[in-house]
Amino acid sequence: MKNIVLSGVVAALLVFSGCSSKGPAVDTKAVNNNPVKEVVPTTTTTTTQEVQPVETETVLSEDNSSVNSSVNSSTSESTMNSIESKLPTIYFAFDKYNITPDMEEKIDAAAVIGKKSASAYKVKLEGNCDEWGSDEYNFALGLRRANAVKKALVADGIDASRISMISYGKSNPVCTAHTRACWAKNRRVNFELLP
Amino acid sequence: MKILFLLFLLFNIAYAGDATIEVVKKADSLPTLAIEDSSISYDHTFKLKFFKALVADLNVISLFNVDRHYQTVPYNDSSVLVADKDMKYVLRYKIFEDDNDAMNIQMKLLQNDNEVFSKNYRVNRKDIYVFVSHAIAYDINEYMGAKPVSWMKKKVIFAKVVAPKKSEIIIADYTLTYQHIIIQGGLNLFPKWANQAQTAFYYTSLDDDKPTLKYINIKTASVKSIISSDGMMVCSDVSNDGNHLLLTMAKDGQPDIYLYDVKKHTYKRETSYSGIDVDGQFMNEETIAFVSSRLGYPNIFTKNLLTNEINQVVYYGKSNVACSASGHYIVYKARESSKTFSQNTFNLHLVSTQTDFIRRLTATGVNEFPKFSKDGDAIIFVKNYKGQSSIGIIRLNLNKNFLFPIKSGRIQSMDW
Repeated sequence: MKNIVLSGVVAALLVFSGCSSKGPAVDTKAVNNNPVKEVVPTTTTTTTQEVQPVETETVLSEDNSSVNSSVNSSTSESTMNSIESKLPTIYFAFDKYNITPDMEEKIDAAAVIGKKSASAYKVKLEGNCDEWGSDEYNFALGLRRANAVKKALVADGIDASRISMISYGKSNPVCTAHTRACWAKNRRVNFELLP
Repeated sequence: MKILFLLFLLFNIAYAGDATIEVVKKADSLPTLAIEDSSISYDHTFKLKFFKALVADLNVISLFNVDRHYQTVPYNDSSVLVADKDMKYVLRYKIFEDDNDAMNIQMKLLQNDNEVFSKNYRVNRKDIYVFVSHAIAYDINEYMGAKPVSWMKKKVIFAKVVAPKKSEIIIADYTLTYQHIIIQGGLNLFPKWANQAQTAFYYTSLDDDKPTLKYINIKTASVKSIISSDGMMVCSDVSNDGNHLLLTMAKDGQPDIYLYDVKKHTYKRETSYSGIDVDGQFMNEETIAFVSSRLGYPNIFTKNLLTNEINQVVYYGKSNVACSASGHYIVYKARESSKTFSQNTFNLHLVSTQTDFIRRLTATGVNEFPKFSKDGDAIIFVKNYKGQSSIGIIRLNLNKNFLFPIKSGRIQSMDW
């Protein structure tokens, strides 16, 4: 009879425990001392802190707020976050990345903010998708949406070098119900200001 | 007239009978196999879990008509249980814990009360028992002289989104029974094995300033950044020798496919369509398959890397958004209906670039993330149907699909 030790199986299942939000922290001690012995990943504070659902109210507040409603606040009082909260969310149709006329108006308003109160900041455009479709294709779709917004902002006079983009595909939903209204909320581009 | 009617009725009955007999014949055509448990350690719940895993694995190798009745018997009994006397084969095993708390398994295959094959296994922890079950099935398959099922011993790596912008990367066995979180925290997606030995893997980190491709060597526990791109960065496939990667990057917001040389740290742009080109998959050293929206909707194309010739390979499906390739075969995911939302069926299909051959591989639900095994013998995928997600294994040569329910969470991407 042959004796088979399945250490290879275990060796490949090494544990990286205690991850920060910036990447995995590697437990090299566990790896080097005994590759067979596995250390159960500890629940780090990162994990508990990470569950941070995006507020769906963001959409509603954005819809109700006028771009000019807070203009009377002085620039000195405008923190990056407060300016960011005034930036719109741009929504898209299913499987599309072209900008509809009503969304063009919102981008124009965002460009005004970008040239005034947010002129000191860079902006990151975050492309997002609903839950339909393959992930890699969806990521590309989210990126094309961000790129469409970028082009519109540049056409409105925003310097392209101030704009970066990222796509989250369907991994950053603001709404998780399986309804049309919910999917529509997720097909969007968000603005994030960067110092 | 009555006679004619009677004859017609008799013909119908006879025809229906034949169909039934045919099905029975197929089921009976495989040799029977019973399983006898002789374990002396661990509780009944664990013993039953191991038994179920073994039944499932033996079903997947598709060499036996496996009896699913759980039975116990002393390991050294000279004959099989009375209930198993008519069985062609009996698989008897004994699980016991040694002084080092390791799990040991003795196994023997009996035919006519004679031992025809045996092997011993040992693992340091019992929670990875399912790998022993896979190993037993693999070894019996090999003993029976069937085509190797190496994929059965391979590990699956997958990403799961647990909250907005938060994910986990998990390593599992091929049924996802055993799962181990290997990266926790942040948004890390699209894991891909970096080599066939599965000692390292690539993944996309979205926590840096730009989407960054990272590499983790599991043996040395080192993490290094490979390349970044504004907007999007995905490792879609790794060549068999591990020396080349197919990346989707988005220079200037334009998602295209790039061929990355691992040793030289250089890359070459392989597509330049103004729409979407993603999901590059190596077919062989010269040809890749990929998903492109160049016809106005996502579809599957191939590109010869030497001649730059691009061909459409799929003429079926309204939205073909994902693919995997092995040799001249491509499996792809197609939307079967035109409804924008809900009730859509996404099925997997198999096509060949050498013939007009096309075969539907799934029938119901949303089937996604198809991935060939390295030897092309099987395809792993995820099926979502009636609120249940399952991991699926398609045995192409046997024309059979096997499903293993997934306990929790939706998979973002997967590699095998």
